[in-house]
Amino acid sequence: MSRITVENVTRRYGDVRAVDGVGLDVAHGDFLVLLGPSGCGKSTLLRMIAGLIPPSEGRVLVDGNDVTETPARDRDLAMVFQSYALYPHLTVERNIGFPLRARKTRKADIRRRVTEVADILDLGALLSRRPRELSGGQRQRVALGRALVRDPGAFLMDEPLSNLDAQLRTATRTEITELHRRLGRTFVYVTHDQVEAMTMATSVAVLNRGRLEQIGTPTEVYDTPASAFVAGFMGSPPMNLLDAEIVTRDGRLHAVAAGVDAPLGLGHLGKPGEPGEQAQRPAILGVRPEHLSLRPVADGDPAPEAGGSGGGATLHGLVRTVENLGSEEIAHCRVGSAEVAVRARRPAGFTVGESVVLTVRPEHTHLFDRESGRRLVWQPDRDASVPAARVPVAT
Amino acid sequence: MSGMFVEVAPPTLPASNVAPAAAGGRGRTARRVARRLGRGVVPYLYLIPALGMLIVWTYRPLVETANYSFYSWNLSPTQPATPVGWHNYHRLFTLPELGGSVWRTLLMILGLLPFTIVIPVVVGLLSREVRGRARSIYQALIFLPFLVAPVASAAVWQWLLSPRSGAVNRATGSSVNWFHERWPALIAITGITGWHVLGFAVVVVAAGLASINGDYAEAASVDGASRWQITRWLTLPLLSPTLVFLVLSTALLFAPQWTFPLIDTLTQGGPVNATTNVYYLLWEYGIQSFDAGLASAAGVVFFIGFGLVAAVLLWISERVTIHDN
Repeated sequence: MSRITVENVTRRYGDVRAVDGVGLDVAHGDFLVLLGPSGCGKSTLLRMIAGLIPPSEGRVLVDGNDVTETPARDRDLAMVFQSYALYPHLTVERNIGFPLRARKTRKADIRRRVTEVADILDLGALLSRRPRELSGGQRQRVALGRALVRDPGAFLMDEPLSNLDAQLRTATRTEITELHRRLGRTFVYVTHDQVEAMTMATSVAVLNRGRLEQIGTPTEVYDTPASAFVAGFMGSPPMNLLDAEIVTRDGRLHAVAAGVDAPLGLGHLGKPGEPGEQAQRPAILGVRPEHLSLRPVADGDPAPEAGGSGGGATLHGLVRTVENLGSEEIAHCRVGSAEVAVRARRPAGFTVGESVVLTVRPEHTHLFDRESGRRLVWQPDRDASVPAARVPVAT
Repeated sequence: MSGMFVEVAPPTLPASNVAPAAAGGRGRTARRVARRLGRGVVPYLYLIPALGMLIVWTYRPLVETANYSFYSWNLSPTQPATPVGWHNYHRLFTLPELGGSVWRTLLMILGLLPFTIVIPVVVGLLSREVRGRARSIYQALIFLPFLVAPVASAAVWQWLLSPRSGAVNRATGSSVNWFHERWPALIAITGITGWHVLGFAVVVVAAGLASINGDYAEAASVDGASRWQITRWLTLPLLSPTLVFLVLSTALLFAPQWTFPLIDTLTQGGPVNATTNVYYLLWEYGIQSFDAGLASAAGVVFFIGFGLVAAVLLWISERVTIHDN
């Protein structure tokens, strides 16, 4: 059993706050991925959990016990390093057996455990080799083996797949997920690769500049990003983010920008013609590339400035480049002064240089505050007598 | 409907690209060869200054030494050198000095190892705990003796080890006449040399420790290893290339060569040859006895001997050291 709790942890380096007031609660058996770009503090946070760096403020708890002052060796955690940190002068067998040797386990028991772990990871034939005689993938498995051998309460992994080639990375990803399922232990896994986060995690914590942006299941983080940062980080290509104004038109809310008119499908604002309390509000409009559908401009289309037709949002743009991904195509279009990516199954019929109309259903649009970047959600006004276009900041 | 499968052929280059380039005229070919030759010469032109220095100052004297070892000559420009065959080597191996000086050099090497290996490793490991500027100051203080000119330090130590008024004898209450008794003289020369090179060795060890990837110690501490286990099982084995380098330096450089200025200023090889090591013997033969032939023969023998020692140590180091990859 290992439940890991991080309470308001901060780590300062001089004036820089590498990790800034982060709180996490990782339940036993969870697979938590700490996700973020390089320099966001995710590795620092993991090292504080491991006990390799003391936090400047806050507490780290394992199973409810405060381990903030406990040295790394007494925390009952295992860690896989990005560099693997295999001891170069020891054979694979001695590397895997190292944690048991350090704990003065009997030689026969060490040998038995190492053999078991080597069988699980298919390392049996390599036990007498030294790290430099192994391939990248084999080294990675030895590092995993060294973590597995002593059956720790939780596994900490610091970008363990980043040194592998693409094919091996996909295979190892599946192996680690399988391992997690079989062991039922707590995993805390650091990566900058959102595909790893989406595929492996039971919950994802997105970090930006040392702060926690969002924590949730991969589906939640992808479908309802809590901030423009998360929206722009998840997905490949990520969510299209356009500066827009929220305006009231005919008593309904629209997000508009150059070449963009998106009815938000959000309630009435009093009678038609009666302006809302808050006539205009700057925001960021977000649309996932796969939610946009594209058609060429037809004669009957309204002018870009005239506003949308029907219920969906429309974006008027020009196709600039098209990328063929094999199963899908990605068109990069210019809409107003912004770049918008559109993703569609092949053949999608994109033509470079063509003027196109992109449409998206209202429920697939996202709004973020332009100042704070946080997600905006619509809260229907309880008091119908006060019609107001309030777009409160939520979460 | 009948038909057949046809394999898709692998891509080939279009025929026009494969055709060999048309041969130019003979003059063009000659120019091309000349240009290629010119380009080939350039790297060697860059090497000439360094190679020239090596030849003039190292290899030519080496060849001349080998040559003089077969002559009898008293270093006087007016006196001719007379060929004597292997006589110089015969004398060298029948005189008792050679064996004694080799033995004393060996003792100096052994006596220096604590200063070049043991103390630097202990100091290096402990000073890792000192952080920031204090660590630089600490290392600078240890390094300082290395910068003192050997003759100056010889004067200071002569005074410290003076039999009656010296601070060492007064502090220990002994009456040892350091530079005039056989064993004390050897110990003093070795000890002062050790004091000299200690700072250098500490800096080398500190650099070696700094080059070990910190991930190993971190991984081991998460794996449950204590600080002492990490030192014993990881740090020292990974430091082995540095330690082999220091052993090599002690055997080839510190013990035979860096002792020389101290021996010459403090004991002149005495008492009764008690501090005459191989280099001092060489100097005695050549410069004090004007026996160029004998000194050259000794030089050749030591050159081969040290070459063998170096080869053996390097061979061992290839086997035992671990290079962090």
